[in-house]
Amino acid sequence: MANEKDLESKWDVQLRKGTLDLVVLAALNGRTLYGLELLQLLHKFETTRITEGTLYPLLDRLKRDGLVTAQWRQEGETRPRKYYALTELGSNKLSAVSRRWQQAVSDINHLLAHPGPAPLNDEE
Amino acid sequence: MSRLSDSQEREKIHSYLKTLGKYLSRLEVYESEEVLREIESHIFDAIDLKEVKGEPVDIDSILSGFGPPRQLAEQYVSHILHGTPPPPGFSALEVVKRGASKGLYWATAGFGYGVGAALILLAFAKLLAPQHVGVWSSANGNSIVIAIVNNPLQQGEDVLGMWLVPVAVIAGFLILRLTYSILRVFRGA
Repeated sequence: MANEKDLESKWDVQLRKGTLDLVVLAALNGRTLYGLELLQLLHKFETTRITEGTLYPLLDRLKRDGLVTAQWRQEGETRPRKYYALTELGSNKLSAVSRRWQQAVSDINHLLAHPGPAPLNDEE
Repeated sequence: MSRLSDSQEREKIHSYLKTLGKYLSRLEVYESEEVLREIESHIFDAIDLKEVKGEPVDIDSILSGFGPPRQLAEQYVSHILHGTPPPPGFSALEVVKRGASKGLYWATAGFGYGVGAALILLAFAKLLAPQHVGVWSSANGNSIVIAIVNNPLQQGEDVLGMWLVPVAVIAGFLILRLTYSILRVFRGA
């Protein structure tokens, strides 16, 4: 059982590496969030729990790449916070990457649903 | 915020941010200040959130989410060290800039911009006072004197004459341009 957990954990790390940009862009789609809010949102899902040390440098990179904007704002009595939102370029990238993601999920599901030894027919 | 009256906790946060700031020194000052401000804001927000929920505040646990300051800083500066390829012909500077101190940066700026500007001023001076500005060769070519003088050197020959103007302007411009490029590599721009 411990081994299975270990495998799952390693798999999650690998998966996150490849999908982190997509996850953050998707989380910011139609939302304007500051770092802690974004982190809390990602912690609601089992496979997207990342640390502060991963999130903030990633946001910095997405900003440098022009995929998100960042703006300091103060609301009421709260301290100023840096809010992130998608740019048009970010929205375009999200659309393109999410299409590839859906394709990948569909392809992998198809393979998982059709184990051998029967041949894998394209028309299925 | 009442928990933060505990000076030990404040000191932990201060120490973390100070160390992080040290490792972010490769960034422009405004960039590293922005990073520190955001992380500080997150830490205090996280503390407030814990207090609102009535949970115990553990500063170490909050800071551990960011990882060691050096490791966190590396992620912010990695694009400077690895992400921006140097201009053609400048690859050796990629190595040099990692060890470049601020002193070297300003010395290069002072020397490069100084020499470039001096050459361009020399060209203007030659235009204004052609008889008193020039490049004289003396001692059978063993000595070259670039000077602005009241009495032109009698013993030497003005090597360039009025050609000094375009030569000095072009050389000055090239040196200014080269200095600008070298400094950009140092900055990692």
